Amino acid sequence: MTGPVTDPNPKVEVLLVEDNPGDVELTRIALREARLLTPLKVVTDGEQAVAYLRSEPPFEHARRPGLILLDLNLPRMDGHEVLKTLKADPDLKHIPVCILTTSGDEMDIAESYNLHANSYIQKPSVLNDMVSVVTHVNEYWLRVVKLPPDLSLHQYTGN
Amino acid sequence: MVSSYCELLGRRYQARLDDEADQFIRFAVDGAQRMQLLIKDLLAFSRVGSRGQPLEATDADHALELALSNLQAALAEDDARITTGALPMVLADKLQLMQLFQNLIANAIKYRRERPPEIHVSAVPRGSYWVFAVADNGIGIDPRFADGIFEIFKRLHTRDQYPGTGIGLAICKRIVERHGGEIWLDCEYRGGSRFCFTLRAAR
Repeated sequence: MTGPVTDPNPKVEVLLVEDNPGDVELTRIALREARLLTPLKVVTDGEQAVAYLRSEPPFEHARRPGLILLDLNLPRMDGHEVLKTLKADPDLKHIPVCILTTSGDEMDIAESYNLHANSYIQKPSVLNDMVSVVTHVNEYWLRVVKLPPDLSLHQYTGN
Repeated sequence: MVSSYCELLGRRYQARLDDEADQFIRFAVDGAQRMQLLIKDLLAFSRVGSRGQPLEATDADHALELALSNLQAALAEDDARITTGALPMVLADKLQLMQLFQNLIANAIKYRRERPPEIHVSAVPRGSYWVFAVADNGIGIDPRFADGIFEIFKRLHTRDQYPGTGIGLAICKRIVERHGGEIWLDCEYRGGSRFCFTLRAAR
């Protein structure tokens, strides 16, 4: 790799819903190692995620992300509940959601897809594999696929 | 996560670390990976009860097929040959029966001798039960340990010799007991190991 990857959607943001600061930092590090400039926004629980996506206080100026990376093991409102809420909301259900979790449990996987997660990724324990995962996710979701029009134009939400 | 951070420490401070520190990091990474496997297996052990489905008439042959399909890679890698007798209909949770076969056969492959593993699965009737057997031509087990091996965390080898968490057979025992059966090592068997377990016949 000779330098930063040019992104056709340079301002598309990714929202990471993850309560563990160590895992958040690892995701940032992996993005750096993969030489990706994708802006990563982080919220640390499910209720914050919903507030962020609805531009509710304190996230009045939040931009709608083009992709949501959602952990399952979150305090208070777990990943599946967040998923249910998002996919039931006509304003939010079109935003792609990738589950990103340590769990490899079949029931967690089945339930995630049943609740219309777009994909399910088990967090690798080896750093290089994490770099590979973020590279692939970025490549697929932000370069290969076409995002819904309102997300790819990176409009501001709310007022 | 732990192993990733150990790796990062190693990379970031490489110039300032001596050989001993490198070794500490390797041990830490190894420990983290082992913990992860342990957690995964402990969860499986605990879920035998909490995730168990009601017992119903189950084709043991089909459960075995599912197990073998999950073990395809290991079977091919070790050039293992499986033979089976006709297997009956039993009262069982199909997924747990699959897990039971899977754990026993995975062990038979793992604890092999130099020659390719040969594994035979069979069942004979005994009253309202069937007695299943999974026999192999592997390294065998000292009869002294016939009871202990079913206890959680009990291993007979170091991790350098054979990988494993010491939970596989404990899971097997838990599954069999949930099904109202028994599991034991056939101590008369020579030339490898032979595990037997009973399951109720399906009416």
